[in-house]
Amino acid sequence: MSGQARALIDSMPDQIATAEPSLSFDEAFTLHHRAVFRTARAVVRDPALAEDVTQEVFLRLYRNLDSTPGDELLRPWLLRVALNVARNTIRGASRSVARDTQYSKEAIGDGWAAPVEDYERRLEIEEARRALDKIKEPMRSCLLLKQQGLSYREIATTLSIKETNVGSLVARGRKQFARVYGKIGGSR
Amino acid sequence: MRECIDEGILQSYFDGELSGEKTESVASHLAVCINCARAARELESESLLLSKALEPEFAGPVPTERLRHRLDAAIAGLHVVRPVASDESRVHSWLQSIADLFTLSPQRAFGYAGLAAVIVFAAIFAIVQWRHVPVNNGSGLAGVPKPVSPPPASTQKESLATVTPSPKDKAQSVSIFAPKQPKRTIPGHRVVPNELAARPQVKLLPGERSYLKQIASLDTTIKSESRRPMRPGLQAEYERNLALVDRAIAATRSAAKSNPNDPDAAEFMFAAYQSKVDLLNQVADARLSNRQH
Repeated sequence: MSGQARALIDSMPDQIATAEPSLSFDEAFTLHHRAVFRTARAVVRDPALAEDVTQEVFLRLYRNLDSTPGDELLRPWLLRVALNVARNTIRGASRSVARDTQYSKEAIGDGWAAPVEDYERRLEIEEARRALDKIKEPMRSCLLLKQQGLSYREIATTLSIKETNVGSLVARGRKQFARVYGKIGGSR
Repeated sequence: MRECIDEGILQSYFDGELSGEKTESVASHLAVCINCARAARELESESLLLSKALEPEFAGPVPTERLRHRLDAAIAGLHVVRPVASDESRVHSWLQSIADLFTLSPQRAFGYAGLAAVIVFAAIFAIVQWRHVPVNNGSGLAGVPKPVSPPPASTQKESLATVTPSPKDKAQSVSIFAPKQPKRTIPGHRVVPNELAARPQVKLLPGERSYLKQIASLDTTIKSESRRPMRPGLQAEYERNLALVDRAIAATRSAAKSNPNDPDAAEFMFAAYQSKVDLLNQVADARLSNRQH
């Protein structure tokens, strides 16, 4: 085997990795619908609205399947669309009270723990949300996305920020959250 | 690394986002720097707190099946629309759009029903209007007396009794008794038998005709001089006198007509006629003498 041929074979894995065909629509849904739904629910705080948002996100993926990024950047793309659609959904309407009420009902109906056992859990969720509300963007989104296991690169792509800034944003957001959450009483 | 670690770098270190070289550098610094080691401990505790706080938010169930069903239904809806938009020919899509008009959804059915009701009402209204117009025309052609045509009886009565001050009206009141009177009917207004039956009532009383002829000739003479107008004062006096005489003629004539056997009534009427003849003679003479001068 010549040196050129060996060099070609050595370089193939990289080429295969970059030229890897995009996921099919079904594969994309199976892999990412949870992240999309949870991100949407964390923003709109209403399971029914989160379902609407998730459906819209994957419909956009379906319509633009040929032009969407490949596997590596697909999750950031989906979460970016999810954040935009979710913000548009709640924009302009002051529905926090209705949302919380509806969320509690839907959460129970969706198979959360029994109401009596879940009271503490719902209280924790509400306290965490109130603490998150005190944190400004993009730090809040950084925390939400990092909590779902996204890499700094994915977070940077999702939020259209520099990757080198993600660490600082996460650190500042984390400190603010701890301070606010402690005042609210979440660290009991 | 001699300097203390930036909080972003420290966060990246704990999140495993640093390169191998930087990771070693941070680790070696943390081993010797008390402040950075304390910051690292805070970071770990806060990160643990954050994870615990947000864990319920992300631990909630995800309705995978329901999402999948909704999405499949939505995609099926997209497929219904797509072939028409992309593949089919224009004619086919046009026919399809027409065919869609006949697929009755409840809203569309209500819309069609409303449209049909409007068309029916419009048609009824148009028919009613169309029928009204010929009826009106037919009644006009059938010869029903129109309000503009004066009733014959009143015409006669006015012609006998009305005395107006203007010369034009005077001539009219005089010419009523002339044989040309039937020509005064309105053009297109046919003389019906009732009118003919009423006409003999205009029959002249005995001895009246000679006065009327005389008056008519005098009137013609005065009119022939109409190119030279009278003085306004004289004209007014002439008209006033003529009106008085006409009124006297009308009154005495009706009296003579109602009492044909009373010679006094006829005498009064002739006296009135004579007064008018005298007046007209006087005026005619005056105008003739003026012309000679």
